[in-house]
Formats: sequence, C-alpha cells, structure tokens
Amino acid sequence: MLKTVSEKAVKEPDIQAEGKINWKDLLYSLGALLGLILLSAVLTVLSPDFLTLNNLMNIARQSAINSLISVGMLLTILTAGIDLSVGSVLALSTVVMAILIIKLHVSPFIGVLAGLCLGAFLGFMNGILLTKLHLPHPFISTLGTMNIARGLALIVTGATPISGFPFSVQFLGAAFWGPIPVSFMLVLVVFIIFHLFLTRTTTGRYIYAVGGNPEAARLSGVPVERVLVIVYTLSGFMAAVAGLVLIGRVNAAYPLAGLGYELDAIAAVIIGGASFFGGVGTVWGTLVGALIMAVLRNGLNLLGVSADLQTVAIGAVIIGAVYIDVLRQRAINKGRR
Amino acid sequence: MRKKLLAIILLAAAMAFALAGCGGSKGQSSQGGGKETAKQETQASDKIRVAVIVKALNSDYWHLVEAGAKDAGAKLGVDVTVLGPAAETQVTEQISMIEDQITKKVSALAVAPSQPSSAIPAFERAKAQKIPVVLIDTDAPWQDKVSFVGTGNYVGGKQAGEFLAKKLGKGAKIAILRGALGDPTHDERANGAVEVLKAQGLDVVTIQPANSERQMGMSVMENILQAHPDIQGVFATNDEMALGALRAIEAAHKNIIVVGFDGSPDALKSIKEGKLTASIAQNPYNIGYMGVEAAVKAAKGESVEKRIDTGTKVITKENVQEEMDNLAKILGR
Repeated sequence: MLKTVSEKAVKEPDIQAEGKINWKDLLYSLGALLGLILLSAVLTVLSPDFLTLNNLMNIARQSAINSLISVGMLLTILTAGIDLSVGSVLALSTVVMAILIIKLHVSPFIGVLAGLCLGAFLGFMNGILLTKLHLPHPFISTLGTMNIARGLALIVTGATPISGFPFSVQFLGAAFWGPIPVSFMLVLVVFIIFHLFLTRTTTGRYIYAVGGNPEAARLSGVPVERVLVIVYTLSGFMAAVAGLVLIGRVNAAYPLAGLGYELDAIAAVIIGGASFFGGVGTVWGTLVGALIMAVLRNGLNLLGVSADLQTVAIGAVIIGAVYIDVLRQRAINKGRR
Repeated sequence: MRKKLLAIILLAAAMAFALAGCGGSKGQSSQGGGKETAKQETQASDKIRVAVIVKALNSDYWHLVEAGAKDAGAKLGVDVTVLGPAAETQVTEQISMIEDQITKKVSALAVAPSQPSSAIPAFERAKAQKIPVVLIDTDAPWQDKVSFVGTGNYVGGKQAGEFLAKKLGKGAKIAILRGALGDPTHDERANGAVEVLKAQGLDVVTIQPANSERQMGMSVMENILQAHPDIQGVFATNDEMALGALRAIEAAHKNIIVVGFDGSPDALKSIKEGKLTASIAQNPYNIGYMGVEAAVKAAKGESVEKRIDTGTKVITKENVQEEMDNLAKILGR
C-alpha cells in the first residue's frame, strides 16, 4: 500500500496538469480503439458474417451487461481499489427483484427499485467496511461481500432459477428501438452520464485525486472517505442495473448469475487503458475495453472456436493491454528524470 | 513513444490474427463432415451446416454427446460444429453462442439449453431466420421446436423397476431416492420405477428427495435405514445419490441392492468393484448422434418425430467392462 502511494506521488502532476497532458490519455484510449478497429478488420476478413448489421447489434447486446458493470468497476479502479463483489451483487439484487415481483406480486416498479437500492446498499456496505472498519484493502472487503451476497442469493432462492417476469421488467434487456437494442442505448446514456460525472463535477475530480495520491488528496481537503463510499455505492448500483439488463436477456433471475463477471469487468477496464495503480482511466476507454472483449468472443464464436481457446485469447489480450500500461508508466517516469 | 505504441498495437493485432487463425483451424478439426476451411465453407453455402450447442464441454458426458454429433456429421456428409461455454452456469454466454450461430446462418441448430426458459427468446430469433431448432438432452417449454431428442426417463425408470423386481421378487421392500421435488426428469424416473414395482407386487416403502447430491443421498439413506431396517433394494434417480446411499449402507454393514441412473464414470467404476449393483445408463453418444440426424432432416424440410428416445440400458457387473471399453473408445482414450 505504502509503495503504491509513493508511486502515486510521482505520477500525480501528470493528472492535474490538464490541457497539455490530456492528448496522451487520448492517445492511450485511442490505442485501445485502434486495437478494436484492427480486431474488427481481421474478423471481417475471416468471417463474412461478422460485419453485418445483425451481428453488430448482437455484439451491442452481448457487451451491454459487462459494459454497465465495468463503468462502476472503473470508478473503484480509479481510486486504486477494486470491487470483487459485482457479480454476486448482480445475482442477489436480481433474485430479490424476482422474488418480490414474481413470487410476492409486488408492483414491478417497486420490485425493480428495491433491487437497485439493494445493489447500491451492498456497494455502500463495501465502502463502509473499507473506510470505517479500516479493512486493509478493498480486495478483502469486497471478497467478503462477494461471498455473502452469493450465499444469500442461493439461500433466498433455494438454489433454483425464477422465471416469468412481465415485459415491463424485461424492457431494458429485451426490447429494441428499430434495429438497436435498448440495452445498448442504456449503455450509451449511462456512459455519457458517468463521463460528465467524472470530468465535470467536483466529486468526479476527487475520484481521480484519491486514486492519484490519497495522502495528498486528504491534505488538500478532499473528503477521501466520503468519495470512497460514493465510489463503491455506485459500483454496487451499476451491478444491479446490469442485473436488470440480464433479467431481460434471459427472462429469469438465478442465484449463479454473474459468476466471474467481476473478472470480465476488471479486464474491460484494464484493456481500456485504466491503470491498476489508480488515477488514470476514462469511461470511453472502458467502453472500448468491454467492446473488445465482446467482439473477441463473438468473432471466435463465429469462427467456431471452442470456449477454452476464447478464454486463452482474452487472457492474452489482458496481458498485452497491461503491458502497454507498464510501458506508459516507464515512459512517464523516464520523462520525469 | 508513439512509434513504440504503434509497434505494440500492430504486434497485438498480429497476435490476435494468429490466434484467430489457429482458432479457425481448430474449428475445422471439430467439424465432423467436410475438411473445408472457413472460407470454402461459406462458398459452399448449399452444404448443410449444423451447430450443436451443449451446456458445457467440460465433462465426459458432453464429450460423448460431441463425439456422437460429429460421427453423425461424418456419416451424413454435413458440417457439424460443436460449441459450449466453459461451465454449465454460463447461461448468458450460451445464449450469445446461439445468437452467433444464427448470425452465421447455420442450416439447423441442436441445443441443450442450460436454462430452458431463458433460451426461448434466442430460439424465437432462430425461428424468425427460418433456422429449425432441435432440443437435445434437456427439453424446453417452446412449442416451435422440431423435436426433443433425449433420454426416455420414464422408460429408464421402468427398467430399474424391472431389474429390482427380477432380483428381489414379490414383497421385497424398496426405497427410492429422487432428485429435487418438481424436477420433471426425476418425476419420470421415479414414476416409471414405481409403476413396475407395484405391478410386480413389490413394496415401495418410501420415496424421498436427496437433491441429486452424493452427500445428501448418504444422509437420507442413513435416516431410511433407521426407519426401515428391513429395506432390500434402493433405486436412486441419479448415480450421485446412489453412490451416497451405498456409503450409508456400507457403514451400516447391510447387504442391499442399489440401482443408480446415468451410467456415470464413478458409477461404472463402483459396479466393476462389485459395490453398486446396477445403473440405468443414458446414452449421450446417441443424444449427439440422433440430435444431428433430426437437425439435418429438419434442414432438408423432412418431417421429424416430436420426441426421440435416445435409449437407456441396464449396466451390471456382467456388461460393465464392455460399456467402459466402449466409452473409452468413443472418447479416444
């Protein structure tokens, strides 16, 4: 922890000097974008079905859940933290929606609202565990929440899926506007909101500051603990929103939903150019990261590649992307010397 | 710096290309019929292409389904691709796979849905593209399916009943362990057995759920032995519960006939060692083979039976070695 703090100190001016350095960030998120374009070009050559409207809309839908989780994950990673609980939070909030709406016949609006609030609450608890109980690292607090939420999801459902949602609940995940899936439009709206939040609001700027150098941020009057609680609450909330999309996609809530999604989200954020050491990363980079993962999976599916090999491919992309991050760190440090 | 970055991106792209390339070749090797490359395959668009999507490709069971599907492809001269997510819990990933095969405009789909009701929207999409869907292994409540190709659970249950009746005769006391209440697969297996046992004059003293788990099968059996120490035969509606029950029986030093269901590798091993008496083996190879047969018929516009039973057989000490050799041969071991 101490070591990361000192590294942060080295990097910090880079974040605060806005105008001049921003082109670099742009280039790096562009780096991921170039990767996405190249990947798409390769797949277009290999599979005639890839570059079709139908397939692009498939990718848009298949990427939506991971994108929504990833934007919450981005916030935690910006603060040099992590949220391992998102997959379980998704599962628990969706099964609670299912029990309320399908089993207890609560009005869909209230049921969904309750599920979303539960997601936010679980995130809030992550924040409290980290800041008030002073657990040493969010890895631990969210690992705990991850297991608790998954266990509760299994208990309240008796480990069986619940299906049969009214269409109003499935709307976000299942509906189309013309050829465009509503879930992808939701992704765009959410990402615009988060972009504005991170770049235009004080709290948003604080998030970068906390990740850049928590000690310096504290000394300059940033309410670090409050910022962290907000960040984890938003991450939990976004997991529940993603859960709502998943409900529409599969017309069911099941306790093992979202298993391993935290790792997909972390991968998307990292591929999208965010630094694991905090303070660096953009929502658009994250969106590109999520799209790269979806395109990779979709393209390999079209080529008939086995799921095992797809996993290998995604692993290779993660390592490649993080290596770029390492080179960037090195270049920045060299530039300073 | 910029140059370096560009170099890395190009490298990554090259890597992706190489990966996709070798992936492609793996895809070909997994096609039962033609040995064409991906490109040629699309040129010969009149050739029938069947995509088989299973719950996961992580167990012998699904590898047997895969082997059957590919053999059917080779025999019928059609291209068969077998795909499945990394784990049976990856429901959305499986749905993505179905969608992507629809995009590929395959001639027909054969799907074993991990969560039947969840896959229906994807099936509807296939129907909209005029791609026939055959369900294999697990049925789904979807009217427009071409057929359900899977184990005849009721018939399998009857076979278990007949086996117990033959071994024990009239008046023998039987306990039945079944999977979760309300699971139609286990309803059929248990009901099939009960019907035969009653008709043959055996006494089914208790039917208890043990949720298809080995551990629970053991504790439920312990309780049954307490309540009914004179039990002579047990039918468990899957092998896991049968093996659990067997442990309880061994611990109580009893001599009770135990019949399982599935013909799983563990069960076969136990039968060979003379512990488990019998197992009603499903035929996953047939599920893959007959699933592809039905899909090809549907793609050609021929009529297909709505329900195709892939068969079950009783495995005992007499034929267990033969069955094990047969499975090993199919799996190429």
